[in-house]
Amino acid sequence: MSDIKEISPENLAAFGIIGGLLGIYLSPLFPPYTSIFGALGAICAVIWGAEAVRRVAKYGLGTGVPSIGQIAMGMGIIAAMFGLAIMKSVTKDPRAIYAGPVLALVTASIIGFVIGWFAQNVIKMKIPVMVRCMTEIAASGALIIIGYSAAVAGNYDFMGSLILKVFDNGVILAVFWVGAMAMLHPFNACLGPDEKQKRLLYLAASTGAITMAVMGIAAIMTLGPMGVVTLVIGVILWLIFYKKFWDEVYKDAASVVGTGLIPKTEA
Amino acid sequence: MVLDLTMSMAVLAIMGAIATIAGCIEDLESDVGSQSNPNSQVQLAPQMGLLHRIYNKAISGEPISNGFSAVIGGLVTNVLLNAKFFPLTAIVLGAFVAALIYGIFATTAYAGRVASQTRFKQPLYMDVMRYTTPSIIGHNFIVCFCLVSISYIQYAILGYPLSIPFLALIWGISVGAIGSSVGDVHYGGEREFQNREFGCGLNTALSGRIVRKAESGLRNSLDNVWFCAKFGGPATGIALGLTVFFSSWPTTIWGYTWTAMGVGVIILAVMTVMNRLVEINVKKSYGPYKEDKNEKEAAA
Repeated sequence: MSDIKEISPENLAAFGIIGGLLGIYLSPLFPPYTSIFGALGAICAVIWGAEAVRRVAKYGLGTGVPSIGQIAMGMGIIAAMFGLAIMKSVTKDPRAIYAGPVLALVTASIIGFVIGWFAQNVIKMKIPVMVRCMTEIAASGALIIIGYSAAVAGNYDFMGSLILKVFDNGVILAVFWVGAMAMLHPFNACLGPDEKQKRLLYLAASTGAITMAVMGIAAIMTLGPMGVVTLVIGVILWLIFYKKFWDEVYKDAASVVGTGLIPKTEA
Repeated sequence: MVLDLTMSMAVLAIMGAIATIAGCIEDLESDVGSQSNPNSQVQLAPQMGLLHRIYNKAISGEPISNGFSAVIGGLVTNVLLNAKFFPLTAIVLGAFVAALIYGIFATTAYAGRVASQTRFKQPLYMDVMRYTTPSIIGHNFIVCFCLVSISYIQYAILGYPLSIPFLALIWGISVGAIGSSVGDVHYGGEREFQNREFGCGLNTALSGRIVRKAESGLRNSLDNVWFCAKFGGPATGIALGLTVFFSSWPTTIWGYTWTAMGVGVIILAVMTVMNRLVEINVKKSYGPYKEDKNEKEAAA
């Protein structure tokens, strides 16, 4: 495994945090045209989250991969709601809203850290990267939730638009579930002894893009024609990364055949 | 909408019937791609040197993957209803979009899993991909259509105070959980290990040693649906249909009263007794677990 050059977790975390926050902060600039940046930021967070899932699930969590994705979103959504909503009640300053996403990220990291610490020291799961990965997974979960929600609502104002445009009509369920799937599916789909990081990252980008397309459909209901743009760009991104994933599959697989019998083996 | 008793019973009967279809098809859909519990054996087979031509659809666990497709179906339906589409058109289009996305995830799961088994020389068969994926999409379309229909009935006719995506997600998780626990055993226990004695149990020595040859030629995933459609699928359908029917029947007749609660408890007690009787009967008929010859040798 060591002979293959991999992107370091630090670089991916930086990519996820910076990309994710940038996308979220750009989303309300020129409403509704910039809402698409929310989804693009969320894709960065999906790529980071999928890599974090990969690192922790490599310790033989086989069937636990989907659970990791779900707990990520569970931690993420609590932190996202808390972070975005708390500033309104703390101060009357309208600029306080800008602190929301960062506060959500920090809250998610704390929740993730505590849960990871419990898993490691109370349940004694004995996975060395547990605490770190749980923190990363929760943080990326929060960014995914806020990013895709911003793509549907046009901004990240919790009371003003998220409740009305994302929570009331049930879109948040899709953000939660499809976002979790985007994050957990890449490792679950690539699980095996010859799993490679590059293929997984392309797949993560592709699942993130599908989620973006789904959010585009939802945004047609909330933002009108802008939703179509999100949908189309989501589909284009998906096509690009899906193709790249398949290129990797062709490169990595033992053989790709049109049809044929089972090759002879020793057994 | 306020319904009289006859209409409420009619709505309940329709919901039960739709749920039965959804449950049955969901189980068959998971068998097309070997998802959930039988999947681990399909995944293990190449490691034991047994290469195969069976689809490896590891999207995620069944409750999650079905919840995923149902919530997308519900969301798209909601958007279309909002744009004043006819309900039936909206549900069909919603289920179609969801099934397509589900199919995409199925292809990445199969390709990804096989590409991660390079050292065991498991080839990626593109013909398996081509003829099995449409079957997965087709099955999932029916499941999603049924689940979103139930959600629509609950939302529009019964007046549940929840949105369609929410109800669809709950139904998706339920159908996945029931399919995974009821029907999959039939595929994982009896189809993959058809050449072993019935009820022999799966000991470690048998891990990954699945049946790879069919009545004629090599076994593919569509053969497994044909087998499971005889028992596993219908059993799952009845399980989900009865769950829907019995969980709503008391409150439909007696309303939200203590009588309804009492009837619910009685149903639960009767079911528990029936389950125990079946278990005792099965244990009597198929006896205690017999040790395999290989296992004895391995222990020695």
